[in-house]
Amino acid sequence: MSDNSIETREAAGDAADPEFEALLERALRVPLPEEGRRRRQPEGGGLRWRWPAVAAVALLAIGVIFGTLKNSAFIPGGSLAGDVVAHINHEPRAISPRPASDVRPVSNHEVTQVLQAAGADMSDIGPIVRYAKLCPFRGTMVAHFVVQGEAGPVTVMLLPEEQVTGPVAVDEDGFVGTIVPLDIGGSIAVVGAPGESLEQIQREVAAALRWRL
Amino acid sequence: MSAKISDLGRRREFDDLVRELRPDLYRYAFWLSRSSQVADDVVQEALLRAWKAYGGLREASAAKQWLVSIVRREHARLYERKRLETVDLAAFEEELPAPGTDPDLEKLRRAIFELEDSYREPLALQVLMGHTTREIAELMDIKEGAVLTRLHRARNRLKADLGRDKDEIRDDES
Repeated sequence: MSDNSIETREAAGDAADPEFEALLERALRVPLPEEGRRRRQPEGGGLRWRWPAVAAVALLAIGVIFGTLKNSAFIPGGSLAGDVVAHINHEPRAISPRPASDVRPVSNHEVTQVLQAAGADMSDIGPIVRYAKLCPFRGTMVAHFVVQGEAGPVTVMLLPEEQVTGPVAVDEDGFVGTIVPLDIGGSIAVVGAPGESLEQIQREVAAALRWRL
Repeated sequence: MSAKISDLGRRREFDDLVRELRPDLYRYAFWLSRSSQVADDVVQEALLRAWKAYGGLREASAAKQWLVSIVRREHARLYERKRLETVDLAAFEEELPAPGTDPDLEKLRRAIFELEDSYREPLALQVLMGHTTREIAELMDIKEGAVLTRLHRARNRLKADLGRDKDEIRDDES
């Protein structure tokens, strides 16, 4: 592999203008995204100040081991519930808290595009859709929505390839919710903050969703 | 993922490799897709695949090209057939906020954003990833001559958009 110096590019006849080449390189070096994978901290962490120092050290050691084995910045992995939460953490902008008055609905056209690309159809549901995106998840493309719940954002992921035999509880990283199997195959994940009313959204989505052949 | 303690050494080795290359892999994916979110997703998926196939990588010196090819393949696999029609110039403002003090930089980024995929990609591969003409040709499955032509035309287009070297830029598009 060659280096990408201006001299090398000049040798290839592509860089007769070093000033332009330097600007070009700066232009291509776009800023990196913010630390998107920064884990959301669970609420109610005040107890940690009262823990004895030895417990803190032990937790730190456990954290290091787990962090190395499981929580690397580069490799997602784990249970389905864990992967759902990891994916939610991967797109923090989608669930950024906003006052209800600032929540702008995604257009029906955009929602339809995402549904079609994900191989799904869905009739209208009550909650406002504030985020809609086609996302890679466990090797397939899935529809990832965020709807406005009563208290805040609620993530809805349509998972045609993920079969679960019964409801799977999600309770990680300050998120709670359920992954439920669908009669039509596959499953949906509905996840929000503790205290959010999720059941109604879950029922509505499950009733409105159809997979496309 | 069921990580084993015995995987730890290789995992660290892989993470070290990726830590160094990830920023430019992201930038390459960004210029492929013109979307920061897509780029992030593509790199994440690509690195997951790369980790699964890491045992098959014999030469560390080939790692960069290997990872670039995986990112490219993942982008094609995940997005080309299901690409959403969301990439337009309106997206530019959101994707690349003005750098502030350097109007030329913003102008050039906008011009790169507007380039056709077939011009933008070899440019990113050459300038960002340090690929040679031959390596670009192999990766894109085109002839070296075609790579040189695309690189030349891409630069001319960008210079024209910047208003530079007007006298030197020939109309070689025909």
